[in-house]
Amino acid sequence: MVLLLQYTLLFASVLILVALGGCFSEHSGVINLGLEGIMVMGALGGALTLKYISPNTPALVIVLAVLFASIICGVVYSTLLAVACINLKADQTLVGTALNMLAAAAATVIVKSINIAENPDNVSSTVQYVQTKKALVVSIGSFQFNWFMLVALILLICAYVILYKTKFGLRLMACGEHPQAADSVGINVYKMRWAGVLISGMLAGIGGIVYITAGVSEWKFEVGVAGFGFLSLAVMIFGQWKPLNIGLAALLFGFFRALSNVYSGFDFLAALNIPGSVYNMMPYIISLVVLAFTSANSRAPKAEGIPYDKGSR
Amino acid sequence: MTGQEKNKKSGGLLSNPAVQSILAALLCIVIGLLVGYIALLIINPGGATNAIITILKNYFTYPSKQAAMKYLGNTLVKAAPLLMCALSIQFCYQAGLFNIGAAGQYVAGAGAALFCALQLKLAWPVCLLAALIAGGVFGIIVGILKSYLNVNEVISGIMLNWIGLYTVNMLLSGVKETASPYTVQIASVNKSALLPSLGMEKLFTNNKYVTIAIPLAVIIAIVLKIVLSMTVFGYEIKATGIAKDAAKYSGMKEKKNIILTLFIGGALAGLGAAFLFLTGYEQWSVTQSSVPGMGFNGIAATFLGGLDPIGTIFASYFIQHITSGGSYLDKNIYPSQISDFISAIIIYLCGFVLFFKLYLNSYLSRRQERDKNKTVASTNKEEGGNK
Amino acid sequence: MADNSTYAIEMLNITKRFPGIIANDNVTIQLKKGEIHALLGENGAGKSTLMSVLFGLYQAEEGVIKKDGREVKINNPNDANDLGIGMVHQHFKLVQCFTVLDNIILGVETTKYGLLQKEEARKKVLELSDKYGLKVDPDAKIEDITVGMQQRTEILKMLYRDNEILIFDEPTAVLTPSEIDELMDIMRNLAKEGKSILFISHKLAEIMAVADRCSVLRRGKYIGTVNIADTNQDELSRMMVGRDVQLVATKEDKVPGDVILHVENMTVPSKLHHNNAVKNVSFDVRSGEIVCIAGIDGNGQTELVYGLSGLENCTTGKITLSGKDITHASIRERSTSGMSHIPEDRHKHGLVMDYSLAYNLVLQRYFEPEFSNKAGFLKKSEINKYADKLIKQYDIRSGQGAPTIARSMSGGNQQKAIIAREIDKNPDLLIAVQPTRGLDVGAIEYIHKQLIAQRDAGHAVLLVSLELEEVMSISDRILVMYEGELVGEFDPKKTTPEELGLYMAGAKRKEIGA
Repeated sequence: MVLLLQYTLLFASVLILVALGGCFSEHSGVINLGLEGIMVMGALGGALTLKYISPNTPALVIVLAVLFASIICGVVYSTLLAVACINLKADQTLVGTALNMLAAAAATVIVKSINIAENPDNVSSTVQYVQTKKALVVSIGSFQFNWFMLVALILLICAYVILYKTKFGLRLMACGEHPQAADSVGINVYKMRWAGVLISGMLAGIGGIVYITAGVSEWKFEVGVAGFGFLSLAVMIFGQWKPLNIGLAALLFGFFRALSNVYSGFDFLAALNIPGSVYNMMPYIISLVVLAFTSANSRAPKAEGIPYDKGSR
Repeated sequence: MTGQEKNKKSGGLLSNPAVQSILAALLCIVIGLLVGYIALLIINPGGATNAIITILKNYFTYPSKQAAMKYLGNTLVKAAPLLMCALSIQFCYQAGLFNIGAAGQYVAGAGAALFCALQLKLAWPVCLLAALIAGGVFGIIVGILKSYLNVNEVISGIMLNWIGLYTVNMLLSGVKETASPYTVQIASVNKSALLPSLGMEKLFTNNKYVTIAIPLAVIIAIVLKIVLSMTVFGYEIKATGIAKDAAKYSGMKEKKNIILTLFIGGALAGLGAAFLFLTGYEQWSVTQSSVPGMGFNGIAATFLGGLDPIGTIFASYFIQHITSGGSYLDKNIYPSQISDFISAIIIYLCGFVLFFKLYLNSYLSRRQERDKNKTVASTNKEEGGNK
Repeated sequence: MADNSTYAIEMLNITKRFPGIIANDNVTIQLKKGEIHALLGENGAGKSTLMSVLFGLYQAEEGVIKKDGREVKINNPNDANDLGIGMVHQHFKLVQCFTVLDNIILGVETTKYGLLQKEEARKKVLELSDKYGLKVDPDAKIEDITVGMQQRTEILKMLYRDNEILIFDEPTAVLTPSEIDELMDIMRNLAKEGKSILFISHKLAEIMAVADRCSVLRRGKYIGTVNIADTNQDELSRMMVGRDVQLVATKEDKVPGDVILHVENMTVPSKLHHNNAVKNVSFDVRSGEIVCIAGIDGNGQTELVYGLSGLENCTTGKITLSGKDITHASIRERSTSGMSHIPEDRHKHGLVMDYSLAYNLVLQRYFEPEFSNKAGFLKKSEINKYADKLIKQYDIRSGQGAPTIARSMSGGNQQKAIIAREIDKNPDLLIAVQPTRGLDVGAIEYIHKQLIAQRDAGHAVLLVSLELEEVMSISDRILVMYEGELVGEFDPKKTTPEELGLYMAGAKRKEIGA
């Protein structure tokens, strides 16, 4: 039971972070379908930090270093989306997809190259961080508290305040709803959209490292992040682009994802003898069902997905 | 580099949209390879030049003509399903739909084909049909969600990719080899399910995997070209893709067209999977935890092919050529995924094609104007670049 | 006030080019302090471009702008704002899901510790709203308030920024007659308080009523500036179009024939709100008559036509076309049963913009045996032949004839293509929704002639128009629509624009028998 709670909170943290990333990007007017790829790059940055940092470093420093590395990787990688979609007006779906594929390929190439350089016979794409991962976790009884849960909660509150209580949030949302209106009052739409995409890069980057450190102490980069970027988009739509609703939606999705990790620990579930694949499918099926019910009346930002062109009015 | 290329050719040829598409595709390939080369240089500068040549040479690394032909056959065997996936994505894109679910439709097709071949022991035409229907059904689900419930087809497509993967893993776990996670060889349990070769294997040094799948894929591409450009159905599909509201206004059944398009798209991807698995070239691993990349590589092929079925035939071959070429790299120096990396770079660059064409056209019209001004005599020169 | 000789703003010898056209060709406008200065011109004369240059949305290639006699550079709306220039755009620049207050402060927010401080802003807005009689609810969302209140929000936006020079771009197009009067009062008030106003319009009566001086543009060129006190509507109209215009279309009297379109108790739901956009509407259109639906924009006309054409389903009611019940017929069935529809939005509905002209001309007929065979193949040569015929017959001008991409054609010729397509179907009923919107006088005359020709040929015509002048000059019968209901039926010969205005504003209503 504790394990279920722990995994639910962990996966919900991932979904909250990445869905908030999508939320910032879409409120600025850019559909970010490259979240999955940004997660992979963030995970890569964090994993390599864990690999190389000395296990004797204070836990807090490790956590901060990992966060910092993931953020940098996510932000830098998201510039590829920003340049293409904001400045060069490329098809946002195509570019997002390209970024997902590029991240998977690039991360595999990088990790394999590192492994090969260390030992020519190690051709795997796995990064190990058994020792340093312990710094991320504090045991409270049998519950393993992960610092990233706190990070997700803090960022959720920050996101709410930024979107609804600050000048920046007001302007950001204006750019996603009616960029011409924003432009006419002197707001630089391009800059705001860049900000939206870079923030989404930052959040998805953190989400990536949280995801791969959730369970095991190593990660095989060939498998990517299993569609979590897209699940997060489903969470975002279910949460109607509002941070607090996103938090609740993430808990629901996180629960079903956690179930596939721990179902065998529950006697009555194990007794049902349902194949593991069914549990693995659950989050995706749930999200399809949820999307089917919520998409018809969605309150998506009106101008999302449409490149802004100063010339056309 | 690009500037020189442009200047050599006349403005008239350059303004031709087909020429522009080819030029754009070549540019994407060159830049993609260049970035790949740089990555190889970073990993290990010594062998980078050889490595990129190895990728490009693919089967030509074999000195004997026979061996080269045989492995050309292998590349073609995998290019056929890639082409089918690319056509699937392309057909849907014409109707304004981004069918990223092609990957899952491909998985569904593979599951259905292998189940019919291994479990039900049916003959190959039935297996093909089953794959077609399974892929089509996956497409229809996306179509219904899109047209009636306004669900973004990209997100639902991705979800179905994973649902498809786990379903097929379950479905095929009954026909796997006892000692490995792979499904049993078709040749060992049901030869009638193998696609016929019609003697083509002789051309490829007795490569038994070369079957009718390859010519069939090319024929399907040509048929699609004809359907899109010459028929009423093509007229409606493209109108729906370009201008949904205008299509509705003129009385086209927009919802029916969306569903039908995704059915066809799904069927193409499903068939593509059968084109590979019914040759016996590959076996399905029932423990795989990531969706096969074939459907995603199809995106690269279709955009590289300039969204034209004929162009896509060549683009699919090229993508498969470098992907196969990657496997000839020395595993202990370079990861073979460098080919995927190059493909991904190429897709990313394809996003700029529209921008490239716009820029090229405005450059051409500016040059035209400049030439006009020159003949008028008094010239106030303005440098190009700030538009 | 107007005797002050120094100018608030001068735009001297402005030239602005777009690829292919010169939008402003050496235009000069001088705005005196405290005056209301009208800028008159037809659609496409370059008024909006000129104002966009002043507001910093575009940069002019040539010419200078002076504020209080000093030359200034305006590179973006921020520069304009710093110089005290504000603008109410023709299409409001308001964020629909924001409140009135949020829209007003957007771009000039005050913050404390990084957080928005809205209380002071609210106080200032309420003060301004009191001072100038601009009634608004600061906490209402834009999507829930009337068009008039949206416009007042736009005006408050300028006042909140302490702007001295106010630009109004076609502000009356979306207002009811009484709202227009109110706006005129507000403008006079603002001028009295020392604000300088540029008023862009193509409506002569309004300019005569409110402006001190008027500058005229025609096809991008500056024609001249006149004192309103020394001129009249005829002179302004001549300056605007360059010749005397026959604004009243000529048509002979005709007795209407059989009922073609019969509508009974039709109700259509709204896409935007939770209520019905068309409520229990009944009317007839007979052969050989032009029936016009008059009304202010947004009173259900769009949805009425959607219901008739099948773009939207009616929840109740019955529609009969030439005796055939088409209530539940598909769009295609209605079209083939003799209904033609010139849609309100020609870019969204009327044309597939990236198709060729030829493909667009067969958009309603491509499936007929004439243009496609039984195997489902298009007969391209037949399509091209047919397109060439229509192009000649209806004088549709385009770069390369039939293969021209629709997007590259001018607005007037795009509309001609739609009209050719719809009329050539030889329909029993022609529905035309704002067919002349955004077109120049020549094209408007052409379209009016075509509509009258349809009527004279014995077809039924249903025209939806927002322009009272158009309504009065070409219709045989007028139905006024207000908030989704038909509130009056009139004979154009026996009514006046003023009377219609009262019904359009909901001030009066009478029962009409269908």
